[in-house]
Amino acid sequence: MLKFDHVSFSYPGMKQTVKDLSFEVHAGEVVAMIGSNGAGKSTVSRLANGLLRPDSGHVYVDGEDTGKVRTSEIAKKVGFLFQNPDRQICQNTVREEIAFGPQVQGVAQDEIERRTEEMLQTFELDGDWFPFTRSRGERQRIALASVLACNPELVILDEPTTGLDYRECIRIMDYITGLSFEKGLTVLMVSHDMELVQEYAQRVLVLTDGRLVDEGPTGRIMKDMSVLGQAHVLPAQIPMLALRFGDKFSDVYTVEEMAEAIHREKTAKVIAMENNKSDAVSTEGIQGRGRKAADTNETGTGKKSGNEPDEKGARS
Amino acid sequence: MNLLDYVPGDSFLHKLNPVMKLLAAFLYGIACIICNNVIMELAFIVLMILISSFAGLQKRALRLTKNLLVLGLIMFILQLLFVRTGEPLLVIGGFCVFTVGGLMSALLLSFRIVATMLPLMLLFAITRMNDLCGALVKRLHVPYRYAFIVTTAFRFVPLFTTEFHDIEDAQKARGVEYDTGNIFRRLKLIVPLFVPLLISSMKKVDAGAMSAQLRGFNLRTTQSGYHEYPFHICDAVCLLFLAAVLAVSVASMILI
Repeated sequence: MLKFDHVSFSYPGMKQTVKDLSFEVHAGEVVAMIGSNGAGKSTVSRLANGLLRPDSGHVYVDGEDTGKVRTSEIAKKVGFLFQNPDRQICQNTVREEIAFGPQVQGVAQDEIERRTEEMLQTFELDGDWFPFTRSRGERQRIALASVLACNPELVILDEPTTGLDYRECIRIMDYITGLSFEKGLTVLMVSHDMELVQEYAQRVLVLTDGRLVDEGPTGRIMKDMSVLGQAHVLPAQIPMLALRFGDKFSDVYTVEEMAEAIHREKTAKVIAMENNKSDAVSTEGIQGRGRKAADTNETGTGKKSGNEPDEKGARS
Repeated sequence: MNLLDYVPGDSFLHKLNPVMKLLAAFLYGIACIICNNVIMELAFIVLMILISSFAGLQKRALRLTKNLLVLGLIMFILQLLFVRTGEPLLVIGGFCVFTVGGLMSALLLSFRIVATMLPLMLLFAITRMNDLCGALVKRLHVPYRYAFIVTTAFRFVPLFTTEFHDIEDAQKARGVEYDTGNIFRRLKLIVPLFVPLLISSMKKVDAGAMSAQLRGFNLRTTQSGYHEYPFHICDAVCLLFLAAVLAVSVASMILI
């Protein structure tokens, strides 16, 4: 869906912000991009929707080279939610605002009306509101609704949840990942919030100083302290706790899994203690340890990592 | 680089009192206006560039001169075609295109524009806006309110430019075709650009006013302020030099 092929970019008169970057985001994936401030995350997201063109290398959106198409053409496929919703809200009512995107893209009138009503309902917005005076969370929802009204195939979220309370955050992310699951919407989210990344992303790209340091499934990246350290972030709290607890918790990512694992370890310990009582003193230590490890493996293999879509659907 | 940005430096010019700098720029401009001799105007321009090269500003001065010359050229053409004194100089098919008087007055006016504007523009390269306003408040007792308006206006320009670009990006990302070549279509698309800019400016101004109030803006008098702006001997030297420039200019008007 989105492919960066050895992309380099620098703003005029400044040192290179993106250096020889290559990665791919497949259709239907939810991918998070993390990195410290100034790592080039925003630049990458702007390169992805054609607001910036690479100095060298190519960016392909749905197989099309962004260097050869107009930004307004790319905009039909790529929705972009900015940090600040005020930059895009320009109409007098929420309804007009949501309809504005499809209008400039030349969608038929009845289709626009259908989509607008659908968006108003999903995001619990009143079409007659004056958008500028609504609360921050509502404005962000209006902005998201008007981005999604354009029926994009890829949505880029540039720190979509800054300044929102947790409820608004979850609501927006649940809806977007829901769309990804149901309709195969591709999502690229830029975020500092590792809890959010842990909860929603299937894959993580780690960016430092304009370079891709690592990419991989959220579970693996989340437990890799050295890679996360380069992006100046800490893992989400549960994976971090699991990391502290050691190897036996290596497949723990969520609260439920943590509860389960703790329960499992507790029982293993009780069993081991009972065995110790009956066994001979000389072999006690070795046997006990061996059994515990075996238990862990048994329960461990059957479990899924916390980032597969069906698991997520159930949660949301 | 912006042509009106401050260029940090440690030169004689930088060390002058901001009030003196402003006065100097005006006096130099007046000298250029009084002068009515093409060669003298040229000399004024060259002198200004030389002076600015003392502060390491020769590049800036040359670029400014180049840009001002464009303005001068427009005035040159207008004067050339509309002033009709003296002998006809260029006659095509019995129609007098321009005259000697026209040429002379066009040359004089266009150089005069450059010579007058140059010191005023260079003033911003050697003076921080804050210093200028601070000195005006401290030395000339201009009400702080007005000085503040001026500084704020200058400070908001780059903010608005970035904001404007971001808004343009945001609208482009929604598929608004600012990249179209058609001017009339672009004009129609002004609403999505200016409405968010207006709204965000209002919000910014409101927030700015509130934070100024919270920090005691109303209590500020001409006595407040962290910096002092005393006059030095170099200011007197500068004033003497300008008196000389003015005298030369007046003399040239009378003698030539």
